[in-house]
Amino acid sequence: MITTPNWQDADTFYEQLLDAQADLSPEQIQAFSARLILLLANQMGDARVLADCIAAAREAL
Amino acid sequence: MTYKEVAHTNGYEFTQGGGYELPTYPFVPPPEIGSGAPARHPIVIVGGGITGLTLACSLARLGVPAILIDEDDTVGVKGASSRGICYTQKSLEIFERLGIYEHIAAKGVQWSVGRTYAGHDEVYSFDLRQQGGYRLSQQPPFINIQQFYIEAFLVDRINALGHVQLRWRNRLTAFEQDEHGALLSIETPAGAYQVRAEHVIDATGSASPLRKWLQVPFDSKRGDDRWCIADVRFTTRPPQERHTWIEAPFNENRAVWQHLMGDDVWRIDYQMAPNADPAYVSREDVVRERLARQFGPEVEVEIVWVGPYAYRSECVHAMRHGRVFFMGDSAKVVSPFGARGGNTGVADADNLAWKLAAVMRGRAAPALLESYGDERLEAARENVRVTNRTARFLRPADGIERTYRNAAIALAKRHAFARPLINTGRMAVANPYTRSRACLYGEGSAAGQSVQNVAFAWADGREGRLNQLLDWAAGDLLLLCFGPLSRADRKRLAGLSATAPLRVVQVVGADDAAQCLEHVRDLKGALRDACQAAAGGWALVRPDAYLAAHGRAVNADLVQAIGLALGLTGVNA
Ligand SMILES: Cc1cc2nc3c(=O)[nH]c(=O)nc-3n(C[C@H](O)[C@H](O)[C@H](O)COP(=O)(O)OP(=O)(O)OC[C@H]3O[C@@H](n4cnc5c(N)ncnc54)[C@H](O)[C@@H]3O)c2cc1C
Repeated sequence: MITTPNWQDADTFYEQLLDAQADLSPEQIQAFSARLILLLANQMGDARVLADCIAAAREAL
Repeated sequence: MTYKEVAHTNGYEFTQGGGYELPTYPFVPPPEIGSGAPARHPIVIVGGGITGLTLACSLARLGVPAILIDEDDTVGVKGASSRGICYTQKSLEIFERLGIYEHIAAKGVQWSVGRTYAGHDEVYSFDLRQQGGYRLSQQPPFINIQQFYIEAFLVDRINALGHVQLRWRNRLTAFEQDEHGALLSIETPAGAYQVRAEHVIDATGSASPLRKWLQVPFDSKRGDDRWCIADVRFTTRPPQERHTWIEAPFNENRAVWQHLMGDDVWRIDYQMAPNADPAYVSREDVVRERLARQFGPEVEVEIVWVGPYAYRSECVHAMRHGRVFFMGDSAKVVSPFGARGGNTGVADADNLAWKLAAVMRGRAAPALLESYGDERLEAARENVRVTNRTARFLRPADGIERTYRNAAIALAKRHAFARPLINTGRMAVANPYTRSRACLYGEGSAAGQSVQNVAFAWADGREGRLNQLLDWAAGDLLLLCFGPLSRADRKRLAGLSATAPLRVVQVVGADDAAQCLEHVRDLKGALRDACQAAAGGWALVRPDAYLAAHGRAVNADLVQAIGLALGLTGVNA
């Protein structure tokens, strides 16, 4: 799992992410997020990295 | 036996339809009745479902005496019988060895295309014939057939083979065991009797009385998912493919399965609302209305059988308790998605049969029996895990679980990447054994994997297949040596087969000279492929067509592998 910056353009991504959800209801946001997570997960593919990411997301709670 | 908890068992008190006529078998008063002292039987199998009968047939084939008792006098469950339908290539290979495959192929239906729908869209389809993993076997990827047909073929075969007595309407009512043996109390219409046994096989299914009496620990999980089966004949014929709907518009957006079985009977499984009333959902008018919603009101439908079901998952912590071996549903219960229940019961039986036979005939050490637990507990756990995941996909909890399922379905309709997330059942496979004391694992080794029933040519050019070699080995280990053998190798091999229950066969190419009398020709390299063996290497194949080990040279590894596979040389370090 990469935990140091690996972005090409962090600010643009952040803006796109917020814009895409700006006019959505909370339910639509959940559905959007789920689809996005599945899409991103497939970009990584690696089972170990995915497991580490899930664990890291839980730890930040 | 009663089935009180209908919602969580395989029981069928709300079952309807008399479309199936099952054979009944006569009760024959056992000779022990009236003779006072308990008779001795080395092996007693309790339960004549698909698991117990497969074990009985395997033992009979190897000439090992046993008795099998069953409280019923027919196959199937208590006169009602729509349960297992899909049988895997591995099970079909086992049934070929047992001599009933031809009957199954003639009665059953082969299929290879599966399609999955959500709403009106197809989200996923596959053709098993295109998938490499199935290609080497002489058996097809799957055959659909009503479970009771297989059981009936097994009964006929056992009776023809002899060695194993089938005792119908013999019910186990009590059990004791100590270091000298087991004592079973059995009730029959002609009175009660007792038998002593050295080995007891519990194949009594998911309501196992032995598991209760022995207070065997197990893990259990139940859900609120409800289903209703309708076995029907139509005036129109849908395609012979397996169709599954995750969300069927004609079933209130719940799941539906549609399969063809023998006798032109379609098995349609409908997912019901959580905690639906089983009596209501299986009422004939309700079922007819449901069928009309799917096939249109004009299609004439003959209802053969209807029954509601729910499922749970269970798994024992150990497959053996003293003299008792658990197998089939007595050891683990899985949800019926992916055909893992019956098929793994068959594999349990095939695993223990040759080991018991080898031990009983003095050709292996009793320690070999411990490997049954290593291998089949690993398989049981894996099957429970896989089926629980399917159950979770098919009946997601409200909230985020459903959100993710919706996301997966939405993406799968557009993008291939999301299709592997769609889980309407992962079809059963021959489970690999990765931690067995009876296998010798090396770097990158295929030990513990199933070898498909591949074709080759006999020395005289006729076509043969692996099962015939196993048949010829008659319960002994089969050593396949690929390619030329030096004189020293041949001498060592002759020595090994003279001292161990081992049959050696040289496998050569089309034009190579054979150096052993016992040789076959692997014209397309299929046998070597199936054994995942190297040229010039060897593969040690067990009577259950699992690979005990493979290696490159006739050396100490081979000797050790034979020792492990026979339970002679201690624990695999
Ligand atoms: C709806 C449904 C669909 C399924 N679909 C499939 C599928 O497609 N493929 C698949 O592989 N599996 C499928 N299964 C699972 C499969 O049916 C079971 O896993 C299988 O029947 C288990 O076989 P068994 O021999 O272990 O137990 P059982 O079939 O339950 O047999 C147990 C036997 O023990 C006897 N018995 C019980 N108690 C006693 C006693 N005290 N004394 C003497 N005898 C006793 C009974 O009479 C019975 O004959 C399905 C199950 C269900 C419910």
